[in-house]
Amino acid sequence: MIRIAAVGDVHVDSDVLGRFRPALEELPDQADVLLVAGDLTRHGTVEEARCFATEFGGLGVPVVTVLGNHDHQSDQQSRVVDVLTASDITVLEGEATVLELHGTRLGIAGVKGFGGGFAGACASNFGEREMKDFVSTTEVLAERLQDALLSVQVDALVALTHYAPVPDTLLGEPLEIYAFLGCYQLGRAIDAAPTTLALHGHAHHGSERGRTPGGVPVRNVAHPVIKQAYNVYQLLSEEADLELVAT
Amino acid sequence: MSTQIDEYLEAEIQSLLTDGRVAELGITVHRREHQLVLGGDVECENRRDEICRQISSRFPDVEIVCDIGIIRAQAPTEVEEIS
Repeated sequence: MIRIAAVGDVHVDSDVLGRFRPALEELPDQADVLLVAGDLTRHGTVEEARCFATEFGGLGVPVVTVLGNHDHQSDQQSRVVDVLTASDITVLEGEATVLELHGTRLGIAGVKGFGGGFAGACASNFGEREMKDFVSTTEVLAERLQDALLSVQVDALVALTHYAPVPDTLLGEPLEIYAFLGCYQLGRAIDAAPTTLALHGHAHHGSERGRTPGGVPVRNVAHPVIKQAYNVYQLLSEEADLELVAT
Repeated sequence: MSTQIDEYLEAEIQSLLTDGRVAELGITVHRREHQLVLGGDVECENRRDEICRQISSRFPDVEIVCDIGIIRAQAPTEVEEIS
């Protein structure tokens, strides 16, 4: 059994220091790892990254993140990553990491992702150079997620993105902005691998639960959606039951 | 001349809220008679107050109703089993 805590869109700046910490101090009793689905900061500055590291670092469990669009706002994303990495926070940008937890291997593949839309209402790689660049960004990031997901052999595999891989978890958002909140290419990448769970943020007015067309559970863990410091998900429960039976 | 409360004003406020300082993309703006109702959630009271201050300062003759909430940050009490 593995327990994963997850949240996204915490938008940390100096004005929220200490708000999450009491709940985060309880994490080692609640979960084995914390995943943060992007928008760690408010404007993507180095100073805000330091605030995030202060609030979410040194928890006693591994912390694995992807960046979000807010973390790119100041064009300092590489320095933001440096600050986080120096605080033992893992930032996935089209890569995977494997954690050994209670004798099981948890794989986490992550990428920020991008917009583009979903079946019947998506952008096409056609026309102006700007539109082709937009869609190309979407496709490249989805391919990187797929490659990362397929690069590991694990007992449980989690896809971590900022942008949404399915429209289900956007329910509540204006239909007109779905194309700016996620894309079907991320869902297709998730379905191309033996993914156990997909987590994303970004859609503050969206819904919590959905599934990819291939049946992978998707959870929108944006802080305004879950309305608590983090959610906890239990994976590989069947293995835990079997272990109990065996003893 | 008083500010016209119409969809252009809504769009201008949305743009104001996404500028470098406020950076709140999740605030909703609805017209209700002669008022503008702000909704959504932010991480702390400072941010909510700053949003209202920025709008009032830019459009002093527009009546603002602030329904922006502060997101709770307590630890969870339940675990969801994924199967």
